[in-house]
Amino acid sequence: MSTSHSKLAKKFLENQQYADWHDSTFWGLRVKRDKMAAAVPEWEQLREKASQIKRHTLTNLDIYLQKFADAAEKNGVEVHWAKDAEEFNEIVYGILKDNNAKKMVKSKSMLTEECDMNPYLEARGIEVVETDLGERILQLAHQRPSHIVVPATHLTHDDVGELFEKELNTKKGDHDPTYLTYEARLSLRDEFLTADAGMTGANFGIAETGDIVVCTNEGNADMSTSVPDLQIAAIGLEKIIPDYECLAVFVRLLARSATGQPSTTYTSHFRKARPGAKKMHIVIVDNGRSEWLADEDHWETLKCMRCGACMNSCPVYRWSGGYSYSFFIPGPLGINLGMLHDPKKYSGNVSACTLCLGCQNVCPVKINLGEQIYKWRQTLDGLGVANPEKKMICKAMDYVFDNKSVYNTATSCAHIVNNLPSFMVNNGLNPWAYAHKMMKFPKKPFHKDMED
Amino acid sequence: MSTSNDIIGKCRKNIRQRLPRPCLSDIDATVYTDPLEEFIIQATAAGCRIVKDRKKEDLDSIIKECYPDAKVIASALPEVKSATVNPDNIKKAQDLNGTDVGVIEGKFGVAENGAIWFPQEVKERAVDFISENIVALIDEDEIVSNMHQAYQKVTFNDYGYGVFIAGPSKTADIAQVLVMGAQAARSMTIVLLKS
Repeated sequence: MSTSHSKLAKKFLENQQYADWHDSTFWGLRVKRDKMAAAVPEWEQLREKASQIKRHTLTNLDIYLQKFADAAEKNGVEVHWAKDAEEFNEIVYGILKDNNAKKMVKSKSMLTEECDMNPYLEARGIEVVETDLGERILQLAHQRPSHIVVPATHLTHDDVGELFEKELNTKKGDHDPTYLTYEARLSLRDEFLTADAGMTGANFGIAETGDIVVCTNEGNADMSTSVPDLQIAAIGLEKIIPDYECLAVFVRLLARSATGQPSTTYTSHFRKARPGAKKMHIVIVDNGRSEWLADEDHWETLKCMRCGACMNSCPVYRWSGGYSYSFFIPGPLGINLGMLHDPKKYSGNVSACTLCLGCQNVCPVKINLGEQIYKWRQTLDGLGVANPEKKMICKAMDYVFDNKSVYNTATSCAHIVNNLPSFMVNNGLNPWAYAHKMMKFPKKPFHKDMED
Repeated sequence: MSTSNDIIGKCRKNIRQRLPRPCLSDIDATVYTDPLEEFIIQATAAGCRIVKDRKKEDLDSIIKECYPDAKVIASALPEVKSATVNPDNIKKAQDLNGTDVGVIEGKFGVAENGAIWFPQEVKERAVDFISENIVALIDEDEIVSNMHQAYQKVTFNDYGYGVFIAGPSKTADIAQVLVMGAQAARSMTIVLLKS
């Protein structure tokens, strides 16, 4: 009865000590978030306003996109439009080629992960250097992010230490995070100084003023754009918001929800190229998003501002890790985004939810993530990916619950199972017996007991 | 390649209902009776050192006191007599690498998160990030309570760039251990100017 997620989760759980560490690390982020939320008396009001702003913006996105593009162009920025990942990659490559740029430093962008940009550019001779420390670690380790905010947190300091010994010639056996961070700083500093281009993603695009707003703790987005001559920003079209009055609401929620900080260290507003630098470029990416606007059950997933709080809160994520999900974004958000992108390909993730709804209780923009996962599950049969065993069990339960006499007979006889030898009950044919002890059935069913 | 019309048109076609903009003026935002006190608490928590009750004329001695080994000091502020580099008239941003202390002036601070607003005011804004240490000036009367007030107050100039900075660059990307000094400044000293 296993789904792609549950098979990989089982593997993850083989190392129980690591699983414990993983759980407590990400729960730590959730606890920090809770402390921050509790310290802001108007927190719930902010969440509600944030949700309403996003609902308003998304249902008027045509107007705001036009406004944003007009404002950016007025600032002297060249705005490009990409309908899908392929077009996005072609546009970025085109900009780099036109400017004779061979090396690009970039700050963290889930959009470029979504579009598989790095391999595309590398295959065409562009050197791409990730500058967020977590992303840089993953680039050196040839791994993908396991979380959208803290992408390499699944690695221990020993993992990183051994990687850096090999890749950055750090001191053997010195796996102190402070030392390792310093060595990465020195190596990345050289990259910033010698890059031809710098790329950032965008946390927000401001329709009124054409700003690209980027939030980082490391300052890598600013290093990437204040040193090289060419600046490119990639933004998914759902990241546009109307103006600064709205931005204030999101900025107050973002870092508190993500890492439990009152704000990120840097909240940077880019409107135009630096003096003497080359023209700044913004690439607005659709890649399915405009279609999702029409999906009445799922369009609100587009409200997401990628804080990762849903992942930190999710018991399934914490106990199965980012790589157990087949979509590149894990957790409750990734389950939903995967289904929006390609339901057949990513349906193996919808089982990764206990429907505890913890995710939607912490979501700063109030996306009904868990309820949406429930809705996706109802579509599995239509997609032809429903599990045949589970379908059979449901049919059998339908029969039992619809027939009073069958139900009475079954519940009265259930206690016979108690006396069966263990090998007949606790075996591979009984999925209940995996990781559970088989329950004892009472001699008299509950409803009979009540009647007497 | 797609055009704005293709993508904006697709959005227009797929929007099901148009929802109104919520009222934001009724947000019951926290306001501090002493914003400066809260600003100091939050900026300290973000990793800053705070120097209180000073004047611009004291800057050189403050730099010496806080960063005694500093050799390369970058600033465009006329009061910083000890500056060795001016980020307003260097040839390229790369020339600022190796700066020990960058001295910059912010417009106002935000109590709820200890952030300071810096619109770009010199040719190479890299000074804000590339310097090993930052000394940031701020008028102690210019502190707002929260980000709602802050975004009513932000100003831009022709450079078209501005940034809120809350403390030195930091990361916890290795095993969630907090380390100050990721890719940008490794320390930040805030000088509160007495008016």
